[in-house]
Amino acid sequence: MQGWIEVALRSFIGFVLLLAIARLLVRKPLGETSQLEFGLIASVAVILAIGSIQLTIPITYLLIALVIWAGGAISITLLSMKNATFRSAIYGKGIPIMKDGKILEDNMKKQHINTDELLRKLRAKQVFQVADVEFAVLEGNGELNVLVKKEQQPITSKMLHHQIPPIKEPETVIMDGKVLNEPLATRGLSQEWLKTELKKMDAIVENVFLAQIDEYGQLTIDLFDDILQVPQPTELPLLEASMKKVEADMEQFALDTEDVEAKQTYKWCAEQMKQVHQMVSPYTKS
Amino acid sequence: MTVGSQVQGMLVSLQSIEATLTSLALKSNEQEAREAFHQGALKTRTVIQEILKRKGKIESEEPQYQQT
Repeated sequence: MQGWIEVALRSFIGFVLLLAIARLLVRKPLGETSQLEFGLIASVAVILAIGSIQLTIPITYLLIALVIWAGGAISITLLSMKNATFRSAIYGKGIPIMKDGKILEDNMKKQHINTDELLRKLRAKQVFQVADVEFAVLEGNGELNVLVKKEQQPITSKMLHHQIPPIKEPETVIMDGKVLNEPLATRGLSQEWLKTELKKMDAIVENVFLAQIDEYGQLTIDLFDDILQVPQPTELPLLEASMKKVEADMEQFALDTEDVEAKQTYKWCAEQMKQVHQMVSPYTKS
Repeated sequence: MTVGSQVQGMLVSLQSIEATLTSLALKSNEQEAREAFHQGALKTRTVIQEILKRKGKIESEEPQYQQT
């Protein structure tokens, strides 16, 4: 066989093999891999690359090396799923660097982390004052994870004892000026509905770059033409406002009328509308 | 503005609220929100009935203000 043909053939096979092995390995960003995993992936890649141009190495040798390296990498991920001790031996355990707000100098020394590095890692987690930290762990891949003190944590609705409605994922219904039928159907809405909604906003499908519907079925769009102003959804604010208005009107009527029966009717209606308002306000206010 | 036309205006607002609530109940994909909107629409409907009755009475009491 001519040399260049063999190189092309080997390169092509190597390329396909690398694709296959990459699919078998776990999905995670390269920055999160441990040194061991990175080494394994690198060796597989190097074997394939050298094997494709170094024709003096017989193909069988290459395959044996590849099976051992790639098989090792895959079996390590599989084994570490099953066994906790194996996992901590391979990937290393998280080591506390700060505990109860105090820096553990011994652990820092053992992990060869100097003070500047610790400060830099803390800053990367938006912590500029060491006193704000309650607990910090150095993970196996060298990342520092920080638990800041309770008073430094951002306020959540739970801390305020405030009820908020659950959130559901929005659905993208137009992309690059094309209607996506499947997401529309999962929300039980039709193309006609979408066209009417767009007409309300003075837009046509062809000019819409992206359109999404939120959990209440409100449509928000982004147009190709950025000079045009896009109207914001008004359904929920309008509903909120008109409910308040109707309530106030009824109370006004109840005060104005001298008819006892009418007074009672208006009062009852105002009460009912107040209940309706309370029922839906957690959803309309968000 | 007569009382009759004021009540008429409120009735229109009520009907718009009911329509909005019904359409929201159909469009929402959150079960709790759906239920709340639906209940709200039902309650609004009974209120509309009451106001309609009231309006009928007002019109019979002051027929001189009836426009049409």
